[in-house]
Amino acid sequence: MRVLDRFRHFWRVVVLRRRADRELDEELGQWADELTHRHHERGAAPVEARRRALAELGGLDTLKQTVQDERVGASWRGLPSDVRYAWRVLRRTPMFTAAAVLTLAIGLAATTAIFSAVNALLIEPLPFRDASRLVFIWSDMTDAGYPRAPLSGPEVKDLRERGTLFDGVGAIWATTTTLTGENDPEQLRIGLVTTNFFNVLGADAAIGRTFGDQDEAPGPSSILLSWPVFERRYGGDRSIVGRTIQVNGQPQMVIGVMPREFRLMLPADSSVPDGLQAWTPVRSAALARAPRGQQYLRVVARMKPRVTVDEARAQVTSIAAAISREFAEYGAAGRQLTTVALQADSVREIRPSLLVLFAGVGVLALIACVNVANLLVARAAERRREAALRAALGASASRLVREALAEGALIAALGAVCGVVVGRGLLAALLALRPAGLDRLAVAHVDWRVLLFACAVAAVGGVIFSLAPLRDLLRANLTALFENSDRRVGGQSAIRLRGGLILSQIALGVILVIGAGLLVRTFLAMQRVDPGFDTDHRLTFRLSVPFARYRTPTAINDFAQRLNTSLAAIPGVTGVGGISHLPYDDLPNWGGPYLTSPGQDESRAADADYRTATPGLFSAIDARFVEGRAFTDADDLTAAPVVIVDDILASRGWPGQSAVGRTIKIDPASSGHATTAATVVGVVHHMRLRSVVEDLTEQVFIPERQVLRNPLAYVVRTSGDPVALADQVRQTVHALDPLLPIYDVRTLDSYAADARGRSRFTATLALGMAAIALLLAAIGIYGIVAYGVARRRGEFGLRMALGARPAQVVRLALRDGAVIASTGVIVGVAGGLLVARLLRSQLYGVSPFDPLTFVTASLTLGLAVIAACYVPARRAARVNPGDALRS
Amino acid sequence: MSPRSTEMLRGTLDLLVLRTLAGQPLHGIAVADRIKLLTAGTFAVGPGSLFPALHRLEQSGWIRGAWRASDRGRRVREYTLTAAGRRRLAAERRQWSRIVEAVGQVLDAES
Repeated sequence: MRVLDRFRHFWRVVVLRRRADRELDEELGQWADELTHRHHERGAAPVEARRRALAELGGLDTLKQTVQDERVGASWRGLPSDVRYAWRVLRRTPMFTAAAVLTLAIGLAATTAIFSAVNALLIEPLPFRDASRLVFIWSDMTDAGYPRAPLSGPEVKDLRERGTLFDGVGAIWATTTTLTGENDPEQLRIGLVTTNFFNVLGADAAIGRTFGDQDEAPGPSSILLSWPVFERRYGGDRSIVGRTIQVNGQPQMVIGVMPREFRLMLPADSSVPDGLQAWTPVRSAALARAPRGQQYLRVVARMKPRVTVDEARAQVTSIAAAISREFAEYGAAGRQLTTVALQADSVREIRPSLLVLFAGVGVLALIACVNVANLLVARAAERRREAALRAALGASASRLVREALAEGALIAALGAVCGVVVGRGLLAALLALRPAGLDRLAVAHVDWRVLLFACAVAAVGGVIFSLAPLRDLLRANLTALFENSDRRVGGQSAIRLRGGLILSQIALGVILVIGAGLLVRTFLAMQRVDPGFDTDHRLTFRLSVPFARYRTPTAINDFAQRLNTSLAAIPGVTGVGGISHLPYDDLPNWGGPYLTSPGQDESRAADADYRTATPGLFSAIDARFVEGRAFTDADDLTAAPVVIVDDILASRGWPGQSAVGRTIKIDPASSGHATTAATVVGVVHHMRLRSVVEDLTEQVFIPERQVLRNPLAYVVRTSGDPVALADQVRQTVHALDPLLPIYDVRTLDSYAADARGRSRFTATLALGMAAIALLLAAIGIYGIVAYGVARRRGEFGLRMALGARPAQVVRLALRDGAVIASTGVIVGVAGGLLVARLLRSQLYGVSPFDPLTFVTASLTLGLAVIAACYVPARRAARVNPGDALRS
Repeated sequence: MSPRSTEMLRGTLDLLVLRTLAGQPLHGIAVADRIKLLTAGTFAVGPGSLFPALHRLEQSGWIRGAWRASDRGRRVREYTLTAAGRRRLAAERRQWSRIVEAVGQVLDAES
């Protein structure tokens, strides 16, 4: 086959090159000898015969060269020398090279940094065994206001028994506990898990083991530590595994330590933080005994091999339908369960932000490439004469192309190396500044995929900007070139090309500025949202009262009373209150159904968020009352149950009437049934407690003395700087009970700042990128206008000598630049209209097509262009006609 | 051949070489000899043109070169026509006939 023969030849000639060359020599030698022999036979002397033979051949070396040049891959053999030559050329113009490399490096650094995050979070699989087999199961209670809600213990049992498509169903929920015993007592964020949870997840311990069937047996509980706790509290001492520690006054045996890099990676709204500090198993029997309506479990299941997510979803849906029928307590509404792939669901919240950032840096990298292309076009135009000369001396077009590519490749390679190095630093800075809401970014790192991506981008960019100047070069008209006395950026097509490039830069810059503007306005809108309470000058901390030492409600109330009094006595404190869930914190939400009229169908009732509060809370956070009163100390277990509701619940439950005095049925024990009747004593304005831009769910506040919740968070309102009182607060609590740790001592402002953190982060990054884009576009405009002015000095001088005023000359000089800039802005605005809708998911309080933002962006670019043109314009105006004409 | 006509007849040279090798495998210079023989001396292909031509044809896969032990003890590189080369030869022959016919028509036409 011909293909085979060609391949054989290719193999010989490229791979076994040296042997092919030797054989070529051998064959040529034979030919020479044969011809010499023939000449000799015809009567020539040996030396003469040899000479004639060589003449016939045309010279051995020439012939050899001809054959070698025609070989496949011959053009590539010159590559190393091309690269060396390109390197020399670049070194001769260090400023230019530095400008090109730096521009490219900036674009690549930003792209590398963000792609690291994209890669680690969106592309790489979850760090668990066979993570594509994992699914997350939610309870779908959209009607009640919770589209993604946890499951109950009996439901997990149902899934285990009836879920034939699953290898295992595990569950987890997060809470806090106290490490007591040796050292200071310490609060820990702990995960309570089913015994099979880590097996289902596919994660192993670094030391010791995770939980298993042996933990189902009755007896003392075990505990699994996280690496940070292991290092910090137990000094990294491996012998801790196997020892018993005191947890909440109970002995528990440490059975293992999870690896340092272990993160749970569950969906952000599952209220299970990535970095739990310890885990404790819960026996299946205990799970099954809990009420069916008590929903608190976050469920992860592992599908059997070759089962698809759709099949798993179908089975889970049918199980939900079955239990809805079998168990009357689900009522008419029944139970719906949804199933999603864990991989996709775990990044559900962060994916849009990341993709927006990625698009932004993509545009920035494009602008950077265009800038480098511009630089190369400008320089190529200056070297036209050199190129024309070389073409006349026999350099083929392909050779010029190769050299241009070599230069471009060199710049791209240098830019890539610098870009990756700077990108790593940029990534480190980004991670250091990341907000709490984007904590998961910490898994971002530069790995082989990121490096490959950076190389690919550099390669594509390199090809683009090395070929850009060639278009002009290859159409060089030799004679016209030599006749043209114009030594500067000559050639109309070069000017047009550069103009086109600048136009695209400006358009892209406008798009970036529009995006940044929208994100900034989103952040500002979020700042302006009235949360319904005040966060300034407030210190918060959490406290967990151990039941082992405070066994009765009286003891607890007594302690709480003394705590309130002692805290209020601190100078500078103007209010003290306690609440079960601080605003914006990440504890699992506590809610349940509520009934406002007798005979209301419970299964279709809406859910409200429940919170317990001490009497002092409402004034401590300056909640605004619509009617009624706050709690008092008299509202305790001996009195009738009372609640305070928010205005949303009041208007839904008793529209148009006063809510005070009405009866509401709630479910504070989370049994699933709203059986506790309470009287409404007050109505407050809705407080956005869950997030800054939350859906507005009704709220029910329960007196802390009537429903004890542990841990409790305290808010201390101060007249001065809240942080200054932190130590006194600690000492006050310590004086009351030395064994009681307080933790999470933070200002309420810091919680609010965290809540807005992601929006601020995205807006800041977008602003940074827009600023860089503006700078690059301004540099581009400056370049082309300045060159234009320099080139046309003679023309300007002539005009001024003929009577033109400086202003007219300036107008002339800037006209081209103005045309490019205004066209660029128009194109950019059009592009912005197309692209802005992609940002919709990130925006709040502003439309993607917000006119103010678009106009501001256009004006900003306009100003940048004007600023860039200022210096060249002045130079044009100051052209001295005499000098210009003489030069 | 004179350098001037080399360019014009490069394609023709390929055709001649392929035809020559259709008969039997030959080593390099023997191809030139054979062409000279067959054309009764009209085409004296210079080794300077033939050598690159052979390598070009080998690269395209029309002929295959192999080392063979010669009677004189040294090895020679011998070229054989491949199956693809045979098909190429047939195609080139047809093309050549068409050209000859066309040119003939032009020359014979009433001016």
